[in-house]
Amino acid sequence: MNRSLRTTLTTSTIALFSLFALLPFYIMLVMGTYQNEELFQKIVLVPGHYLMENIKTVAESRFDLAYMNSFIVSAASTVVSVFVSCFAGFAFAKHEFKYKKQIFSGVLLTMMIPGQLGLVAFVIEMRYIHVSSTLLPLILPWVANAFGIFWMTQFMKGAIPTEVLESARIDGCSDIGVFFRIVVAFIYPAIATLSLLVFLWSWNNYLLPLIIINKPELFTIPLAITSLGNAYRTDLAAQILGLTLGTIPVLILFIFGSKSFIRGLTAGSVKG
Amino acid sequence: MMDTAKRKWVPYFFLSPYLLFYMAFGLIPIIFSFYVSLTSWDGISGKKFVGLANYKFLFNGDSYFFKSIGNTLLFIVMTLPLQLIFGLLIATLLYSQYVKWRAFFQLINFLPYIVTPVAVGLMFNLLFDWQAGFVNKVLIHLGIIDEGIYWLGDPVYARLIIVLMMFWKGFGYTMIFFLAGLANIPKDLNEAAQVDGASGFRNFWSITLPLLRPVITFIVITGIIGGFQLLEEPMLLLGGAGMGSSSAVIGGPDRCCLTTVWNMYDTAYGSTTRYGLGAAIAYGLCVIIAVFSFIGVKFQKGEQE
Repeated sequence: MNRSLRTTLTTSTIALFSLFALLPFYIMLVMGTYQNEELFQKIVLVPGHYLMENIKTVAESRFDLAYMNSFIVSAASTVVSVFVSCFAGFAFAKHEFKYKKQIFSGVLLTMMIPGQLGLVAFVIEMRYIHVSSTLLPLILPWVANAFGIFWMTQFMKGAIPTEVLESARIDGCSDIGVFFRIVVAFIYPAIATLSLLVFLWSWNNYLLPLIIINKPELFTIPLAITSLGNAYRTDLAAQILGLTLGTIPVLILFIFGSKSFIRGLTAGSVKG
Repeated sequence: MMDTAKRKWVPYFFLSPYLLFYMAFGLIPIIFSFYVSLTSWDGISGKKFVGLANYKFLFNGDSYFFKSIGNTLLFIVMTLPLQLIFGLLIATLLYSQYVKWRAFFQLINFLPYIVTPVAVGLMFNLLFDWQAGFVNKVLIHLGIIDEGIYWLGDPVYARLIIVLMMFWKGFGYTMIFFLAGLANIPKDLNEAAQVDGASGFRNFWSITLPLLRPVITFIVITGIIGGFQLLEEPMLLLGGAGMGSSSAVIGGPDRCCLTTVWNMYDTAYGSTTRYGLGAAIAYGLCVIIAVFSFIGVKFQKGEQE
């Protein structure tokens, strides 16, 4: 088989699969531009002209507030999670201390524990410390993120030359200084990848907000989408538009971040 | 190592934010949840200590505990191999030299993973809706069926749709990890084999696949852990537009799609507010995951030796 034929074959196989990946998105996009009744009558393949009206319906449900809440929660979760993970990862990857192995195994163990295990008591705890009517309960679980620590430890082991750290110390750099001036510079790819993942997971989180958030002003995007279904039970089209709108921010984030995301993944993740 | 004798506190300093937050918002709730699981409590009246009664109830036919575990396992067993095979296939094609627009296709196939699970559930609900659904309309239009199929009302179809949905959502994610794994394989290994006259297939089977084992293990273990957390997609698929209302069916037809976490949610915060039983379900799930992880780790170690 010659080269160009092979290229055509391979590329079209992948294109076919990509179509499978894209089709539901396309149908979702198109359905959001029709009037509700039309959705029941015909097969919609090209965009309709009811988009503005559907946008109005969605806007009435204060979708903008949900955007803001989701953004605050995801951004805060990402920052604290990445920061704490880098700190702990540095300790595990580049320091020696008593019971290091045991503590690290403990972290791995918590990775295996399903997130729902402490849920019942976590909700009670949040009520007890009087933060259950704020967004804080949605951020706190991400602070101690076992996956992030595992990720950073693995990455730092390979990415930071110990000699550089030692010479910085000999030159009189403090430990905090070493961390912020040197360590951070070596782990940008890992930071980018972890940030994108935590942002995504936090943005998409549904169970915890569903249980803990009961004020519509504090709804995050997933809650806002499902509540569109309740408020406009018959208006499928508006709900579909809500789905599209809720997905767009993370799509944009990944389209711009996909290069560094994949670089970080390739550089350090899955070496076993 | 660096001066550890002098500055013993340094590693603990870097660890302390994690340890403190984990204790406060991870460990304490987990321990307290265990205590709650030993009580009968609806959140309003006082807690009543009932010992292991909640755990005994899990074995009762009414609890749906084992049914929900069985459903969840079925979804994992059906979805994970599909994701592995197709993820690897697409990754291999994408990694070959015979492909155009690699970065573009890479991104497109990863997109489904990014979509909010709530949206995934609703999207497939719309596709397979009995009346307004895209699939039924296309099938009728093509003359394959005369009347819309009630996809989400039939246990077999409903389960198949969940598998299709999970596969759609996850194969791009496995593909990305396989791509990362392929990039970590030294190129000269494959080249050397080619020089020695190995065929492409042979090359893949004897060199690439064994070197991808860590990636496969990673995907399988995280896939099983993630699979046990399955909740939003089936919940929204089967609850659909009426989600949150009492009319939504819990777990789909015959509860064939009730997952363990859905069962826990419904027990503690949905149709009943039995916090104690909900916590017991979470602990039961944890034990089952622990067993699987243990087997997985043993299996992996056995293969390495």
